[in-house]
Amino acid sequence: MQMEKKAPLFIELILIAVSLIFLFPVFFLVEMSFKEPGIFFDPFRLPNSLYLDYYRAAFTKMDFFTGLGNSLIITICGLGLTVIVGSMAGYVLTRRNERLFRFILLFFLTGMVIPAVGSIIPLFKMAIQLKLVNTRTLLVLLYTAQFVPFASFLYSAFTKSIPKDLEESAQIDGCGMFKMYWTIIFPLLMPATGTFIITHVYSIWNDFLTPLIFINQAEKMTLMPQIVQFMFNQQSINYGPVFAVSVLAVLPLVILFVFTQKYMIKGLVLGSVKG
Amino acid sequence: MGLQRKQYATAIGFLAPAFAIFFVFFYFPFLQSVYYSFTEWNGLSAPRIIGLDNYKRLFDDPRMIDGLYNTLKMVVFGLLIQNPLALLIAVLLNRKFRTRAFLRTAFYLPVIISLVVASVIFGQILRYDGFVNGLLTAVGLDAFAVDWLGTVKFSFPSIIVLSQWQAIGYCAMIYLAGLQSIPPDMFEAAEIEGARGFVLFRHITFPMLMPAVSIVLFLTIVGALRLFDLPYLLTGGGPGTSSYTLFLAVYNSAFVNQNFGYATAGGIMLAVLIILVAGLQMAITRKREVEL
Repeated sequence: MQMEKKAPLFIELILIAVSLIFLFPVFFLVEMSFKEPGIFFDPFRLPNSLYLDYYRAAFTKMDFFTGLGNSLIITICGLGLTVIVGSMAGYVLTRRNERLFRFILLFFLTGMVIPAVGSIIPLFKMAIQLKLVNTRTLLVLLYTAQFVPFASFLYSAFTKSIPKDLEESAQIDGCGMFKMYWTIIFPLLMPATGTFIITHVYSIWNDFLTPLIFINQAEKMTLMPQIVQFMFNQQSINYGPVFAVSVLAVLPLVILFVFTQKYMIKGLVLGSVKG
Repeated sequence: MGLQRKQYATAIGFLAPAFAIFFVFFYFPFLQSVYYSFTEWNGLSAPRIIGLDNYKRLFDDPRMIDGLYNTLKMVVFGLLIQNPLALLIAVLLNRKFRTRAFLRTAFYLPVIISLVVASVIFGQILRYDGFVNGLLTAVGLDAFAVDWLGTVKFSFPSIIVLSQWQAIGYCAMIYLAGLQSIPPDMFEAAEIEGARGFVLFRHITFPMLMPAVSIVLFLTIVGALRLFDLPYLLTGGGPGTSSYTLFLAVYNSAFVNQNFGYATAGGIMLAVLIILVAGLQMAITRKREVEL
């Protein structure tokens, strides 16, 4: 007998009311990006028409597409590199149980506990020595270093569910281990890859601190610090364009979220439990 | 034998890139920061070892002290208010609803929005002539209309409340997934035994939820200790030092005052704090997990 837990109507109404409070800032964001200057600071007036000047300003006064491009490149490369090196590491960490591999697993574990705050300054110095300051490469490497422990754990957990005979039969065929991994194992690890990407794409895209510290050239800036700079340049005269840029910067993630929501919440839990 | 050695070598080759990137760009800088925290160093001249002076100075610095207090306030708020609220929302959401998909999206959507954009939004909502004060005035509560981000008394409490916009939804989703992983027959068995309502929650739901509680508490604490974007963008730590967090104090002593040795000492203190508090919390919740 399956118990149907039907919620009373008043609970549903309370939840809807609370959820509207949560949604209000999102509504406010979109609303403000269309609100003409005359009523901009009147909190109770809705936009009269679809006022598009802020979006025009966003494209002309700020180099939006440069920021978008940089954010895209860094996010894709950061996730890609982590998936490549993290999955290979996670795979052998499960398949080999020599002491070295168990030690490295523990070593990665410390990386998930130590916060990166203290290391920012030595990193900065090292970046100067390696001539990596002001490069997108540095950001990609930093994100990868930060995510590799989690990714390795995730892939290591998923590798356990792949039967070993698969690899053994491939070995007999004379496949090299490297080729065997990429053609047979990695495709089977797709669920881990999906989980990793939809839970970490936001961390890179939304990150403000790392580019703030390590990038100081306009043409390499990602969207988030770009928005902040734009905001400080606008001062208090008119925030409309800042809202327009913010909407544009959030939009790709919202679209992604709508399509991957179900997996994302699942992945969130899987990730936090297995990690 | 030759084949086995070759396989071993290949396996190391698989591990090497991840290990190298992690070591060079994460672990090694961390070890260096331990060394720098005992030195006076402005980034230009050579670091000079000064023993524990940096650590002593941390406790005379109003930014660090206010940062520490605020950070701890945030942790306490997270544990006592944010968590129960998130759990409540998760328990309420864990039923059959017509609007369930909508509700879940509504609570989770803020989580994916960057703190930069959140600051843009809340900076306007909370400005003195903004939406919140307009609403208060409209309903005759103008006495409560204050400068939310510009007064010593309200700046940090405002930031704490703003952080809940994302934190509650995030924690609620983890709790919700935890609730859904409890096998339904456990509830049936308990109900046959006569457990209802709060008793059911106290003796079945909550113990079964302990792993999720553990994760959420850990994330709450770490999140509180890492709070940087909101105070940096909304108040700059002000007025005075009233809305500093430890992270912001570390950032400013490094990149505004160029006091690198001192800043790393702050960073190490923050790291030790995170490890201590998180370790303590894990020890407590893990113990309960085993007991039950």
